[in-house]
Amino acid sequence: MNVFVNFLFVIVKNNIALLYGTVGEIVTEKSGSLNLGVEGTMAIGAIGGVLIGCKSGSLLVGILASFFFAALCGLFFAFMTVTLQANQNVTGLTITTFGLGMYYFIGNAFKNAGKWPTNNVVDSLNGMKPIEIPLLSKIPVIGKAFFSQNIFVYLGIIIAVVIWWYLKYTKPGLRIRAIGENPASADAVGVNITLYKYVHLMLGSGIMGIGGLLMALTLSGSFEGSKCWIDGFGWISIALVIFANWNTLLAIIGTLVFGLFNTLKVYGSTLADFYPKVFGWLNKIPPQFMQALPFIITAVVLVVSSISKRKTDEPAAIGRNYYREER
Amino acid sequence: MNKNREPLIRVVKREGMKRREIVMLYFGAIILALGIGAILLLSLDAEPFEYYEKMFTMGTIGNKLAYIQFQTYVQEFVPLLITSLALSLAFKMRFWNIGGEGQFLLGSLAGATVAFMVPTSTNVFLSMFLMILAGAVVGGLIGLSTAALKVKFGTNETLFTLMINYVALYVMRFFGETKADWNIFLRPEERPKFNQIPDNTKMFTIKIGDFSLELSLILAIVLVVVLYFYLNRTKQGYEIAVVGDSINTAKYAGMKVNKVICRTMFISAALIGAAGALRVSSVHALSDSITNSVGWTGIVVAWLAKLNPIGIVIVSALITLLQCGCRFASSSFGNIDSHFADLLQGIILFVILAADFFIRFKIVFRHNSKKSSSEKEVNA
Repeated sequence: MNVFVNFLFVIVKNNIALLYGTVGEIVTEKSGSLNLGVEGTMAIGAIGGVLIGCKSGSLLVGILASFFFAALCGLFFAFMTVTLQANQNVTGLTITTFGLGMYYFIGNAFKNAGKWPTNNVVDSLNGMKPIEIPLLSKIPVIGKAFFSQNIFVYLGIIIAVVIWWYLKYTKPGLRIRAIGENPASADAVGVNITLYKYVHLMLGSGIMGIGGLLMALTLSGSFEGSKCWIDGFGWISIALVIFANWNTLLAIIGTLVFGLFNTLKVYGSTLADFYPKVFGWLNKIPPQFMQALPFIITAVVLVVSSISKRKTDEPAAIGRNYYREER
Repeated sequence: MNKNREPLIRVVKREGMKRREIVMLYFGAIILALGIGAILLLSLDAEPFEYYEKMFTMGTIGNKLAYIQFQTYVQEFVPLLITSLALSLAFKMRFWNIGGEGQFLLGSLAGATVAFMVPTSTNVFLSMFLMILAGAVVGGLIGLSTAALKVKFGTNETLFTLMINYVALYVMRFFGETKADWNIFLRPEERPKFNQIPDNTKMFTIKIGDFSLELSLILAIVLVVVLYFYLNRTKQGYEIAVVGDSINTAKYAGMKVNKVICRTMFISAALIGAAGALRVSSVHALSDSITNSVGWTGIVVAWLAKLNPIGIVIVSALITLLQCGCRFASSSFGNIDSHFADLLQGIILFVILAADFFIRFKIVFRHNSKKSSSEKEVNA
């Protein structure tokens, strides 16, 4: 049983960063912008958060720093696409290129100068210790996976729930959704579109950045070759947004589903060895298929929902810039 | 009174900036970006002029082995050029094919399949032709299905092609990591490692002194000319432009919009698939990083070049120079990572995107707003 419990634990621990990326991208897309720069934003948040967090020795400062630096990427995206009316896809892709370039540039610079914080320093950010929630963590099997995790897991879920409530039940949330659906109407009733877009693009990017910091702290990565900490999670997040139907609560479930496949890739054979009867079939499935499955599912969801004309919560004005005189 | 006053700063559309002004603006933008890069270099105690000199010359001056640098340059330039050209076709219709990576990967896989299947006695031209054909068909079919889904059901092509990129990547990894006997892509003795393709399927080269000119460069240049005529002088090219401008106009003019979109997307993706097959033939083996990110960079190139074929040649040549040059320069600057190329590319792009704003719009201050509004009336 221990192996299975650990399996569940790893699913949550190693994949919760996806939730941050996804929630951040949902906030972004709900405001009508498609930001393809998640990967780069997370990388910038990660490196900024680690450096400042380790310097100060406090996890909270690290989290705030990662939020801040990633939000700067969001500010940049907003400036380019809202104020300068640049194409969103191109700007987003450039943020990814730029962010990853910055990641390697800063990382190698500190490493070569011998100033890179060692792993011990990272560990000393002692907030990363698992926090056991009384009673709930004693639930068999799932207790350890969900209620005995580090602070990032709880924080991620709290953010997801708060954002869900914010978008659904508050006045600013309603307005931002209106901008995402039909900016001209929102403009006509007097919503300050520029301000709303700036704030929410920064908020969304900032949330992604915390996910980047988490990946830096839990996953291995380096500054050589193409082994970045973020390792494609930013792109998976963009897929997850569709899978979660632009709903941050569903994003929690989506994270677990995508995380399951991600983890099966590395954990599948262990499971198969320990429980040959139940999980023996896992050995027969190529691990690459496991990894591809989230993307296949998302593609199928995209196609099926468009064929069935099922109403998705995709914002209608997504990806198009709003220019008042062009109506 | 106060209510009727115009805001202090206003942004209005501008039309017809002179070509010379645009070139100057872009030139200034690139200088500015290099300047920002120089500050970053200085912050690491690197001499910017020395770095940039090494970067722009790729260390070819006074180097006896310079031809190797040029060969590498061409090998990276051609796939980027073809991919950017192909993507620009789709972008002209405002069809966001961001699946270049996936189409390239699967095209190269198809090309490699042919390379391992054809008899080793086959003539190099015939085998290369078959590889290109296979790559084009596979790439084209992916593109066609994306377009068909878009026109039939309205599936979001940006997100769909993004997903296919990853599926393609894992398909490639599957063939690269599966040790089974049926896997013809791997070396028989050293598994799992991608095998070299047979000699008769390797890129045909023309020797000019020490430098070997790849056939693919000639093909790519021919493609530029053909596409230029296709877009500017043929009915199909005109249809692409009209669909891109306004789908409704195209409909009222009696064009079969769906057919135009499907056809163009097929050509676009087929070209990318063919570029993938050419790349295998050129580097002699598959790898999961065979695309060298051309699917992503190509989007940026096509956009920077305003979807103009000639512009794409220039921009992709410069971007390749940036990447090859940074790799070379970084090898002699220990503390500058070769990813500096990405950083610099990002900065250049941001500055140019910002410069674009001044081409499309102009900023009007309150005190001369009267003049500009009267100008507008005259124009109208």
